[in-house]
Amino acid sequence: MTASASDALIRLDGVTKTFGTTTALKDASLEVSRGEIVVLLGLSGSGKSTLLRHLDGLEIPTAGSVEVLGAQVPSLKGRALRDLRSRVGFIFQQFELVPSLTVLENVLTGSLSGVRGPRLGLWGYSRASKLTALEHLDRVGLLDRAYQRSDTLSGGQQQRVAIARALMQKPAILLADEPVASLDPESSEQVMALIREIAADEGLTVVCSLHQVDLAISWADRIVGLRHGEVVLDTPTGDLTKSEVMEIYGRVATTTAEIRAVAEELVEAAAQVAAS
Amino acid sequence: MTALDSATDAATRGGGPVPRGGGQTVAERAPKRPISPERIAASLTLVALVVLGILAVRDVDISIPAMVQSRGNAENFMARVGGLTFPAPADLAWLIALTVGLVLVGTLLAAVLSVPIAYLAAANTTPGNGWRAAARFIGVLTRALPDVVLAMAFVLMFSLGTLPGILAIGIHSIGMISKMFADAIEQIDEGPRLAIRAAGGSKMQEFTSGILPQVLPSWVATVLHRNDINLRGSVVLGYVGVAGLGLEMSYAFKSLNYGKGLGIALVIFILCVAMEIVSSMVRGAMLGEQKHTRSWIDRILHPRLGAHASTQVERPAWAASPETAVRRPWTAQRIRHTIAGVVAVLVVIGSVLVSQINWMDLITFWAKLPEVAAKFWPPSFGNYDASAMFQAMRETVAIALAATVLTLLPSLLLGSLAARNVAPSSGARGTARLLLVGIRGIPELILAIVLVVITGLGAQAGVIALAIGGIGLLGKLIADSFEEVDRGPERALRAVGATRLQTYTSATVPQGMQALIGHSFYMLDTNIRAATILGIVGGGGVGYYLLNASQGSRYETVTAIVLMILATVLVVEGLAMWMRKVFR
Repeated sequence: MTASASDALIRLDGVTKTFGTTTALKDASLEVSRGEIVVLLGLSGSGKSTLLRHLDGLEIPTAGSVEVLGAQVPSLKGRALRDLRSRVGFIFQQFELVPSLTVLENVLTGSLSGVRGPRLGLWGYSRASKLTALEHLDRVGLLDRAYQRSDTLSGGQQQRVAIARALMQKPAILLADEPVASLDPESSEQVMALIREIAADEGLTVVCSLHQVDLAISWADRIVGLRHGEVVLDTPTGDLTKSEVMEIYGRVATTTAEIRAVAEELVEAAAQVAAS
Repeated sequence: MTALDSATDAATRGGGPVPRGGGQTVAERAPKRPISPERIAASLTLVALVVLGILAVRDVDISIPAMVQSRGNAENFMARVGGLTFPAPADLAWLIALTVGLVLVGTLLAAVLSVPIAYLAAANTTPGNGWRAAARFIGVLTRALPDVVLAMAFVLMFSLGTLPGILAIGIHSIGMISKMFADAIEQIDEGPRLAIRAAGGSKMQEFTSGILPQVLPSWVATVLHRNDINLRGSVVLGYVGVAGLGLEMSYAFKSLNYGKGLGIALVIFILCVAMEIVSSMVRGAMLGEQKHTRSWIDRILHPRLGAHASTQVERPAWAASPETAVRRPWTAQRIRHTIAGVVAVLVVIGSVLVSQINWMDLITFWAKLPEVAAKFWPPSFGNYDASAMFQAMRETVAIALAATVLTLLPSLLLGSLAARNVAPSSGARGTARLLLVGIRGIPELILAIVLVVITGLGAQAGVIALAIGGIGLLGKLIADSFEEVDRGPERALRAVGATRLQTYTSATVPQGMQALIGHSFYMLDTNIRAATILGIVGGGGVGYYLLNASQGSRYETVTAIVLMILATVLVVEGLAMWMRKVFR
């Protein structure tokens, strides 16, 4: 499963990022090759989001290099940066749909980098892009909601709209930042299955951050563990051992309640590994 | 047993102060209340302003005996009125359309100009701090220049008509509108905007697709609110030659045709109240949509909608496939939105047409500009005595202070009664709200004009007019901020057994105090601007000299007086900003 250097779509090398006095990423290196489904695993504040945001040029590293789809992301500006972003889909924890716009318009905003100038309302988009957007909506099972305001949908439905919006970009890479952290278990399962299914159909490379160990083990091809901004684990899910999970979670737990929670996670993780 | 245990033990046994830390009493051990020098300075300024205001009220000499005396004047006046008369219905309809049209066009002009200024002034969209400071300065400057002063200048540059009024409203309103627009931009959820950036959208697309949809309801509400204010203010524009109801009224009073003047005043009052009702209905409809609450009208129209919303209804026919879904279905909601949109566009087009803008003026204006501008410079008081001018400015400030102090108590009373959580009954609340709307509907200038006729020229008419007009605004602001306080402390006090009045003074007022101070300064700010204008209709102060200088074509004197007003307004504005900062 390890990437051969020539095939890598994403290449981080010694990336450090500091915000004032806090260090969010410390000398992080990572390569992801075409078609891989990678989960970034770690507690909140471990640097997962920061790492993902670097891949889309939403953050500039303090040191180190970020190469995505063959381009040095920190050096990109203007049109070139927007072109790169259009080939990288991003799914947010809080969905980040524009609440007062219809579902269809929200999906269409995914195509903005391909058109010139601002768009106000549905009539600003061509019939062809509307049709494409509706096809994506049909695929995520929300065609009949196309003309509803996006804030009238449930959380799981909103996240599916966000996936359709990302598809509208015709991305090569899909980034997802805790896509199910705000959802109930049933919707979570639907959304994660949908991402996997679409990734397989479109041959997408996926980098997704999660904090649930069991979900990560059952869903990903490869797990990258982060702790305090450092990459502390990088392994295919099949080989994941209890002690490696301990490496990610064990040392950061300080209170009794946290240690108990970690112990429970570990039991579950072991059961999962045994089952697979 | 620990030290803490023994201490509480002693306390519960009623053992009095426990000697600890070297035998000190509780009073000695209690931490000293921290004192911030800035807060003391601000409090002293506040006290000084109130005292000055009270002194000003005394100087203006509003005494009951004087009122009784002036009743004779009033009777005299009423006798001369001899009954209200109105212009012919066709003329009246035309004047109403013209007035509403030019106010609307002016407000919309300001709204359009405010968008880029607000974008530069909002902390989260500004390209740099230099841009931000410049945009905010434009806002403060345009707010400080009274629209009537601008109109005077424009009347000199354009032929008479609507254009000076439209431009004056359009420029002056930028101050308030751009500030409220920028506030709305700063309050958006950044997420959707970030999502559009992540999808490769440009800055412009981030704005139109990520920010604009979020701020639009608040922006429309701001424009409607400002439109109400501008309609009330349009009366005085007539006094300096802007066409419409105000001009007609000023002609009537100048020719001593009091019946007709008062008739037009009544029309303007009804127009203002009607506009206020229409705009609050539009605001309510928009906000209702935002919050997904259903008004009683909705409930009558679609009684079972609520039950359906959550359950999965079967797929509608249009959603059979993406091809059939490209054509947006005509739902009841879409029909409603389209009708509202078409009506709005028609109103705007109608307003532009009815204003009969002389577009040629906009072209010839630039040719005349250097010549006219040269007349305004350098500023000089001309044949006025500088000390007399400063005295007049002081009188204007005194009128504003006195009016603000007189407004405070009635506003607090009426505003409290109008707050849902304070009012003893819904009947009392309704009555108070109605009174506030009614008072807000009266344009202060009409009040002042009528009072000037009754009490004669001078500060007294100005103070009373501003004080009454202020109750409408301040009372509403107080009611709104009392309704916004946290209800928890009120419930807690009621649970303790406090009376209604005790709950009000100990829970509601302390929480609303900061807002109260902020609103009072806003009131003073507004009153200073209004007081300069009042002079134009004979309400005392510097406005009288301003009007004289402009009618006598002494432009350099106009400049000097405007600069003096500008400096005063900026000082008060700065003071108000400081107060809001300290008492936050």
